[in-house]
Amino acid sequence: MELIEKLGILADSAKYDVACTSCGVERQAVKGQLGSTSTSGICHSFSADGRCVSLLKVLYSNACSYDCAYCVNRRSNDTPRATFTPQELAELTIGFYRRNYIEGLFLSSGVLGTPDRTTELMCEAIRLLRQEYGFRGYIHAKAIPGTSDELLVRLGVLVDRLSLNIEFPSAQSLSVFAPEKAAHHILPPMRFVRDGIKANYQDKRLSAVRRTRFVPAGQSTQMVIGASPESDYQILRLSAELYRKLEMQRVFFSAYIPVNDDPLLAGVREAPLLREHRLYQADWLMRFYQFDVDEIIDAEHPFLDPLIDPKANWALNHMEQFPVEVNKADYELLLRVPGIGVRGAKRILVARRERRLDFDDLRRLNITLKRARLFVTCKGQMDAGVLFDPLTIHKSLTESARRRLRRQDDGQLSLFEGEAADSATAGNLPMGDSASGAVGGADSAAAIVTAAAATTAAAATTADRAAGTATVAAAAATADRAAGTATVAAAAATADRAAGTATVAAKASPVHPATLPFSARFAPVPSFADSDALACIN
Amino acid sequence: MYQLRYLCDGTLEGLLTAVFVAFRQHECPTNIVIDEATQASLFDSDVPIITDLALAERVRDGIIGKLGASAYQKVKECFLAEDPSRGGTILRYLRYTMRGGHRSLGHLAAPAVAEAEAIIQRVSTEAHAMIQFARFADVGSGLFYSHIRPRASVVPLIMGHFAARFNVQPFIIHDSRHQLSGVFDTERWWLVEGLPQALSLPTVEEDKFQELWRCFYQTIAIPERRNPVVQRGFMSKRFWGDMCEQRLHYQRRGDEV
Repeated sequence: MELIEKLGILADSAKYDVACTSCGVERQAVKGQLGSTSTSGICHSFSADGRCVSLLKVLYSNACSYDCAYCVNRRSNDTPRATFTPQELAELTIGFYRRNYIEGLFLSSGVLGTPDRTTELMCEAIRLLRQEYGFRGYIHAKAIPGTSDELLVRLGVLVDRLSLNIEFPSAQSLSVFAPEKAAHHILPPMRFVRDGIKANYQDKRLSAVRRTRFVPAGQSTQMVIGASPESDYQILRLSAELYRKLEMQRVFFSAYIPVNDDPLLAGVREAPLLREHRLYQADWLMRFYQFDVDEIIDAEHPFLDPLIDPKANWALNHMEQFPVEVNKADYELLLRVPGIGVRGAKRILVARRERRLDFDDLRRLNITLKRARLFVTCKGQMDAGVLFDPLTIHKSLTESARRRLRRQDDGQLSLFEGEAADSATAGNLPMGDSASGAVGGADSAAAIVTAAAATTAAAATTADRAAGTATVAAAAATADRAAGTATVAAAAATADRAAGTATVAAKASPVHPATLPFSARFAPVPSFADSDALACIN
Repeated sequence: MYQLRYLCDGTLEGLLTAVFVAFRQHECPTNIVIDEATQASLFDSDVPIITDLALAERVRDGIIGKLGASAYQKVKECFLAEDPSRGGTILRYLRYTMRGGHRSLGHLAAPAVAEAEAIIQRVSTEAHAMIQFARFADVGSGLFYSHIRPRASVVPLIMGHFAARFNVQPFIIHDSRHQLSGVFDTERWWLVEGLPQALSLPTVEEDKFQELWRCFYQTIAIPERRNPVVQRGFMSKRFWGDMCEQRLHYQRRGDEV
């Protein structure tokens, strides 16, 4: 088989793997050897789907002996199969690297017979690249679940980053969709890698250079979103645990794209890309913005709002903390302002040592004021023309999202037909409450609660919580105004619910509509604490 | 309105000499014109500055002594921009910071500092884009060649990165927009005006790797996730002409240079 043909097959099989980062380790160049790495990573291209191309991402082989329901390379799929030789892979990597196409290699593989044999082959390919070719670029390898600890060590000292895919947010889903993989094949190796990384620093006999020898860039993992019935709440709680207890560098989410005609996955029609986007936003809040997972999402609203990003959502639910005075607020509080990021907050801290900042100064600091101006004061003043009112702010923040939804749904009226409401989004409405989220797809009487009305309910909730004194009547009135097109009855009903006097009990189980066909199989989704995936993490 | 301008010879030394003159004469020229092509205005009073290496070095040492090497690096980066008013920006930046000392480098909201930082930001973004998107081609006898057209003269800023990383291969990075080349011979790198030598055509080996890379690049995209807006946001189309994975697309539009 021609090399280009192989590359086509093995890149195609690897493309659903998300991780393509080259960050986490700084390795200076050495005279006479090719390559270096940089802490922040370098993206060398962006593919037509907008994803970064940083590493040569291929499988060693796609001739897999497993039969996982969600995977393109499953044994029962009739696809062309190929396997690299170590030389081919090394020459390809070096050839691309010398032309500045890539930062290094991302090597995964289907299971060739047994996990141990597969890992041995991968080790040999990477050893050749590192030792014979003297390659000092970045290498990210996938550990195959079920590999022995000795082989993990062999692999770990050759690569920069190791990752094991947790694949699904709960052990139940894993056992349904990937019967040959089990939680006990995934979590113990993760712990093993974590302990190995810790040992790098503890072994005082190693010199400073050699101290970070085992997986110096840390480990990462990924899970499929939307194929199984877990809520965003469960997913984010799990990733928080993965960061905290297993010291993951990254947890990646991958919106499930229907690739197989498996009866298990018959309900998934299109990839929940918006949901994936919101999860990543929440992930960023946890990693860089000092948010706790419980601040982002709670069991009562188990899905993130498709209309508004999680940071703005938090702000709207905590209006008592705003507006923030940019000249006084500490770093942590500045980070909480929608529109101010890590870089902006740091620039503010530096700049305000010299002068008390006004809005023109903020513009000079390159702070995007479009959102931030709604939440900050400068020298005690709001920006000109800003009305500090939760409903107004909510409306202006969600305006473009609502317009987009309306366009998608082909006209505003169709929003009112439960069916037409976009399956990927209507079911996700978390702020309305769990009932409106669940029934959106469940075809009950409340299914006519539209995206707009649910938003209104959300706004009413916010207003209510923030003001604390809003009467039911007022909430109803404002809800009505914000919805604009909602019928008075509907608005009144939602506002009523928001005000806490609802008679409709919001007890429906939080099931993602895209996965409703499973509800029978999965009956009530077990609460996260019961999930044995969590129990395995210590 | 009458405006005082200094004209310098387009070199960093010329600019630093002009800065020295402005400080000595207690003058505030509205701009130090670096590019010769800038049009003279009828009512402006243009003072030509004769480059003096000794004065330039005094200014350089003064900046490094008072503000540190990183401030001098900032002046150099600002100088590499294409902005025709950058000479004046640098002068105002230095007037402000030399008076205020090291701390004043952090006065990010002060107009003199903010103006310079904005230009520096653009230059370093452009330099990073070249580190990401420059493509090298094997043009025979082990020499690698890269053609770039950045919107700032960033070759001096990126040579160090490539010289360290690719220290086993001689290469040339040629910026045709600014007529500047960086040359590396596996020992050290230097700058040359224009293109230092005639190049042969890409080798057969090179064609093979470009073909493989195009195959990989096209395969790795997931059709169901197509998102050209995000793609362009991260990788502006103006770079595509020099990136071999985009070349097919580019030729179709007939924009090849």
